[in-house]
Amino acid sequence: MTKNNIEGWIVFCLITLFCGSAFWVSTTFDKMPPILKRGIQPADFPQIILVFIVIITIAMTWFDPIKVSKRLDNKTLGSFGLIALFSILTIVDLFVALGVFAAALSFFWGEKRWNFLFGIGIIMPTFIFFLFDQVFEIRFPRGVITNLWYG
Amino acid sequence: MHPFFNGLISLGDPQLIIVLLVSTLGGVIIGALPGLNATNGAALLLPFTLSMDAVPAIASLVAIYCSATFAGAITAILINTPGTPASATTCLDGYPLAQRGEAGRALGLAVVSSTIGGVLSVVCLMLAAPFLARMAYHFAPPEYFALTLFGLSMLASIGEGSPLKNLISGSLGVFLALIGVDMLTSVERFTFGSNDLYDGIGFVPVMIGIFGISELLVQASLLNKKRETVKMKAIKLPTIEDYREVWKAILRSSGIGTFIGILPAEGATVASMIGYNEAKRWSKSPEKFGKGAIEGIAGSEAANNAATGGAMVPTLALGIPGSATAAVILAGLMVHGVRPGPSMFTEQADFAYTIFWSMMLVNLAFLFVGLTGAKIFARVTLIPIPILWPCVFIISIVGAYALDQSMFDVWIVLISGIIGFFMRRYGFSVVPLAIGLILGEMLEQRLGQSMVMLDEKWWLMFTRPLAFVFFLLTIIALFGPYLWGKIIHPFILKIKS
Repeated sequence: MTKNNIEGWIVFCLITLFCGSAFWVSTTFDKMPPILKRGIQPADFPQIILVFIVIITIAMTWFDPIKVSKRLDNKTLGSFGLIALFSILTIVDLFVALGVFAAALSFFWGEKRWNFLFGIGIIMPTFIFFLFDQVFEIRFPRGVITNLWYG
Repeated sequence: MHPFFNGLISLGDPQLIIVLLVSTLGGVIIGALPGLNATNGAALLLPFTLSMDAVPAIASLVAIYCSATFAGAITAILINTPGTPASATTCLDGYPLAQRGEAGRALGLAVVSSTIGGVLSVVCLMLAAPFLARMAYHFAPPEYFALTLFGLSMLASIGEGSPLKNLISGSLGVFLALIGVDMLTSVERFTFGSNDLYDGIGFVPVMIGIFGISELLVQASLLNKKRETVKMKAIKLPTIEDYREVWKAILRSSGIGTFIGILPAEGATVASMIGYNEAKRWSKSPEKFGKGAIEGIAGSEAANNAATGGAMVPTLALGIPGSATAAVILAGLMVHGVRPGPSMFTEQADFAYTIFWSMMLVNLAFLFVGLTGAKIFARVTLIPIPILWPCVFIISIVGAYALDQSMFDVWIVLISGIIGFFMRRYGFSVVPLAIGLILGEMLEQRLGQSMVMLDEKWWLMFTRPLAFVFFLLTIIALFGPYLWGKIIHPFILKIKS
């Protein structure tokens, strides 16, 4: 890992931090009396795995450092933003969130024909909604629009 | 009656036939669509199989696996973009042949080679099943533990990532599998008091995330890539001269593909590469390779489809996925309450043979679908990415929600999709994560059972011959790639020079 490769170091730190925190949490698990522990204590196996991950991560920085060739482009970053928007909109209504996300992503990725955007943003989610509601009998979570159907 | 015949009789069920034919058609479309392949296609459709019985559900996933693997050749030949990674070597000769105006001939060869490869591998699978059934009697918890450990160690050599990164990814998967209540002691682990985490993290939403949503984010950076289709008049069946030229390559690659597929965690991609290389090595005119050699197409396609049958051997017989798509199928088996493993061929032999016969039917079905519909599927490849992937997103989210009608699964999909994207960006394959997630709980259970059985003297596991062999293979799998790359291979080169 070169000094300039900040992302590589961030990944290394994140993995070790995650493993360290998880290891600490695992020390708080209940301990079973010998007759009930069925071979191993609940914390034993996760701790073995976490230590193994840290060892391999250290080995990785030596033998196989992370190389990042290019920065994230605007389309990818924008797609992340739209996923965040989707997550917020699910609070209002999953159906609305799906439609808005699908149409917005399609538009952002270069689709400018309104009839296609209409199809992706309205017709596709509506079709999926009724397919699940009528055929699979699976109800969407209640929301602003879905309540109009569910009453 | 012998399960072999019971499995064949099961195919008489019209519902199963319809499911298989629809799945085959769906698989071919998935394989032809840009960015979608057998693995993420199967992951996306997995939630939709939950309402089915186990046989049609698994048969449909297997059908998608076989047909999507074949369909990767359509895009490889017509637009020089492999529909699946396993078809990458098909591009090398398929596209040049298509550019010379022989796209129909190239596709005809791909269809026939794929069918022969697929059928031969299923025959091998059926022949191997009785031997695998006998193995079941030698397995106790220590052997199962050693075997699962070996399966996980094979993660080092799979995927596009390096061995160390694959191991990290796989171990992370094992760790995620441990979240929730411990099956052996009923102690909650890493749940932080959340009811949603009490039963652990479901592998279906994680798979939808890491294979589906992460691919969506990858596609965002590929929007500027231009796709040009080569015109095709009609698909052509290979002539007698073509068969004379390629039959050896097809048979050789079918054997290679089946063998590579059987190796735990190896898959169609490796098989097609070796199949292609061997076709070139044994060819009378290797100079034609890369310029439209029909042996190259046959070698690659027969191998990658043969690997699908081979990959089902460790998946069904050992409970260890033979490839990324087999991992999704394994997840499907588990959510339907089917426990794969050596005992499968004794306790659930009828089920196993029905799946084999379904694979046989699918391999023959896509011969028909490929020959009649290739022209239509060629157009499918041109569906614009800005239209396709928002639809994939909707199906992913709704599919994940439908599992338990829980928004928690939707969050899992999104989070695992984002983590999956960054893992791929930093060179970690997501396939080991999926396999680790599936095998993690099993590994711990078998360790616990072994400890109870051996009175907590874990070292006694090494005194059991079969377990010892698996431990030895685990060490070879873990250190083999490093020893080969850094010590043995340079040493051989040094001696040669």
